[in-house]
Amino acid sequence: MMMFAIPIRISLARHLGTLLATAALIGFVCFGFAATASAQPGDRGTLIVFADEQGAASTNAASLLPAPVLQRDDYPNIGVSSRSIVWVIAQMHLFFGALVLAVPIFVLVIEIIGFRTGDDRYDDMAHEFMKVSLTAYAITALFGGTLALALFLLYPHLMTYLMSAFGSQVLVYAGLFFLESMLLYIYYYGWNALRYGNRKWVHLTLGLLLNAVGTTLLVVANSWTTFMMAPSGFDAETGAIVGNIWEVMKGPLWNPLNLHRFIANIAFGGAVVGAYAAFRFLSAKSAAERAHYDWMGYTSNFIAILAFLPLPFAGYWLTAEIYAYSQQMGMLAMGGILAWLFVIQAVLIGAILLAGNYYLWTGMARSEGSARYRWAIKYIATVLILGFLVWVTPHNVIYTTAEAIKLGGRNHPVLGPLGIMPAKNIAVFLMLIGTFLSFQLYRRADKVITVSWQGWGNALMTSIYIVAVLNIIFAGVYYGYFTNTVYKVGSSVIQVMSTLVVIVVGVVIDSLMFRGARTLRVSWGRVTNRSQYALFALPIAFTWLMALMGYVRSSVRTHWHVYTVMRDNSADNFIPTLQTVGNMVTLVTLLFLAFLLFIFWIANLSGTRQLPITVDAASPGARVSA
Amino acid sequence: MSETTQPKKAGQITTWLVAILVALAAFYLMNHAVMSMQGLPLNWNLTPAQ
Amino acid sequence: MNVLVKTLLFSVTLVLAFGGVTYMLPQMEGPAPEQRVINIDDLTMESFIAIGENLYSGKGTCALCHNEFGRAPDMLAFNVTEVSLQRIADPSYEGSAIDAEGYLRESMLQPSAFVVAGFGTKGSNDSESPMSAIDKAPVQLSTLEIDAIIAFLQDKDGEPVSVPLPVAKAESIAAARALPSPAVPQSPEDVIARYGCAACHSILGSQATLGPDLNDIAARRSAAEIRESIANPAATAGDGFIVKMPEYPDMTIAELEMIVAYLTAAADDRT
Repeated sequence: MMMFAIPIRISLARHLGTLLATAALIGFVCFGFAATASAQPGDRGTLIVFADEQGAASTNAASLLPAPVLQRDDYPNIGVSSRSIVWVIAQMHLFFGALVLAVPIFVLVIEIIGFRTGDDRYDDMAHEFMKVSLTAYAITALFGGTLALALFLLYPHLMTYLMSAFGSQVLVYAGLFFLESMLLYIYYYGWNALRYGNRKWVHLTLGLLLNAVGTTLLVVANSWTTFMMAPSGFDAETGAIVGNIWEVMKGPLWNPLNLHRFIANIAFGGAVVGAYAAFRFLSAKSAAERAHYDWMGYTSNFIAILAFLPLPFAGYWLTAEIYAYSQQMGMLAMGGILAWLFVIQAVLIGAILLAGNYYLWTGMARSEGSARYRWAIKYIATVLILGFLVWVTPHNVIYTTAEAIKLGGRNHPVLGPLGIMPAKNIAVFLMLIGTFLSFQLYRRADKVITVSWQGWGNALMTSIYIVAVLNIIFAGVYYGYFTNTVYKVGSSVIQVMSTLVVIVVGVVIDSLMFRGARTLRVSWGRVTNRSQYALFALPIAFTWLMALMGYVRSSVRTHWHVYTVMRDNSADNFIPTLQTVGNMVTLVTLLFLAFLLFIFWIANLSGTRQLPITVDAASPGARVSA
Repeated sequence: MSETTQPKKAGQITTWLVAILVALAAFYLMNHAVMSMQGLPLNWNLTPAQ
Repeated sequence: MNVLVKTLLFSVTLVLAFGGVTYMLPQMEGPAPEQRVINIDDLTMESFIAIGENLYSGKGTCALCHNEFGRAPDMLAFNVTEVSLQRIADPSYEGSAIDAEGYLRESMLQPSAFVVAGFGTKGSNDSESPMSAIDKAPVQLSTLEIDAIIAFLQDKDGEPVSVPLPVAKAESIAAARALPSPAVPQSPEDVIARYGCAACHSILGSQATLGPDLNDIAARRSAAEIRESIANPAATAGDGFIVKMPEYPDMTIAELEMIVAYLTAAADDRT
């Protein structure tokens, strides 16, 4: 294969234009397909159309498929809890789906960085990340197929109804997978063939298209989930589907879930490849290998934490939309029987932040310039730990009467107020700011800033930190405890914005201040083995958290297959105990770990080459790792 | 947070004072803007106006 | 130790640690909704009100928001009939109810007809209620169930029940219990009546002298002492009273607090 030795100069604008136009075209075609493909109501027979109070066309639903009303005996029973089977398979599919959708996103970004800087290391790392993703892709498809089979076997009526809702959109989904596979294979296997010059542009375009198709797959699948939670496009009397596919897809929770899952996937993907890097680091035989995987681990952690920071805001939007759609659903999730799950979530997020920060702090040892900032670590650690403790404090605990007397009431006099949202918000936003500070200090550790206005820049940055922290505490305490509910809820937006201001201003000021900075030596590989365990803790906590929140998302429907439309009358139509939930989540996390190890091993194996067996057998059949 | 040569003490204090005031003003205005946008106006002293 | 083994050990331990957290927390199971068939012919007003009370904290999901945490008016804390009449008399009231029963029914079927000040959807300036219509999904109470809840709300304050008993025959209704019933405290008077305090103590019109007079107990005992006396009567018996006060192991904390708060309030503050 001939490759261009010298990159041919073609105008940047033309390249970019071609790239974006092609991507946009195919993206729109895919999405347009998905959005419009469905049987129109007219296809289903003669209809009488009249407007209902919402002004939307309602139909004589007798000729349409109404939502099934099931009895216990209508459900197939294969001797094992159907819910448990679907739970495990679905969660495994979601884990792997998240991974294979996320990795190409940051791989493309890293590839672009490598292309812009001309540094081969970035390109090689991107290629290596894709190797991990490719193996996972097959497993994703396998779990997807198994999930479909399990659903049709165990919940045939529900699936019939959902098929009536989504129609040929599901075939579009399948078709998108053909596209995804083709793009994925060309993108990965054609990496070295499309390495330089114009061909690199083609490769980047392929990467962009891959991500466009992947994101389309994500939003299409999300519509099934959100339809079950907050259905739209149905007739209120019978549950029959009367809207077109766009009305069915675009429910109130669709875009919040799209945003949340898109960002969370990136964080999750970064964390998983970080574990890969940590594993290879610990197994490294040479200093060069250690340096390479240390750098890869740092990059992965950077991606994971960077994507993790905006996640609470996306989650907040999702929860706010749930509340707006149905107060009952919202209250159930956070104020009712599912509320304890959010205490567990607090534990996991605390673990994630501690692990991420710990990795950054130990990583500061790579550069001599970090000694300036080491004093700050203990304060950030204190904020993180205190914040975590506040965040994990519940409001209501089941006391016996004797205990209540000792307390002097229903809630603990001191800890009780820490159990409600204002305190939680203060804690979590201070934790996020602390994490961002760790980031900033790490990025400054290997630089000596030389711009003339650094006095102003640093003063402004520090002031913004101080005022933001004070603002967050003020908003939380004053509006949280001394004003009415509406202002209390509204004040959380102040806290969000304060945190965002710190992050955005921090990034902007730093990028301006780093211009012309003198870089100190960074010794990649000069980091403790202990620090790598933080890179294991991160994906483990992420995985467990993902499974937990997936359970919440499913459980918040209570005894409905499709909320308010199709009742769940199966043997599993109750909310299981926390222990049951913990067991299932632990099970799927362990399963995922097992599969991940397999994937890492395969990725490693593919680079291994056995030496031919020679007659004078000093070391017959010795194996060499590439 | 920097490794420059030390500017004059008075200049430093001015810088910091201005920086703090700018930050305070920015967040004060942001508070008003954010709460107003939600239909929850504030008084000048940041107490609820409703 | 082999890197793989160390990694696995660490990972599995961490996963199990997270799983272990769920074992440390209170275990609650959400019971599956059960179908209960009510035979209308057998209904008495008492059982009808009891159905309403059950629905209030169960399928109706009222207690989820109507509690002391401030999301919705805490109907168990005030006289619903009186307050309903006040709401109708409010100059900004534009609904069509003319009595308490009508107001309650309107509040359930068209919550946005009148929104109590401060409880409206954020940004709607109290013109829109966050409550969904109770006769629609997901709550979807039938007319009979709504009537039962109104009857309960009227009765709990001692007001006359204006809702007639349902008489339609050949109509079996399933009142399914959808959510677990948290311990919803009734009014203090109800709790005191339930535990029979007036049998021995002077309270709520009783003149019994088997135990200390509770009408003015706030002047003689602190809240903590009163609480202790109820929860642990054996430890605090005294003052020359012969009859031993029984224990109440089934009393919930909410009920206990309600009694203590009621007793420590000055006599003229009691509603």
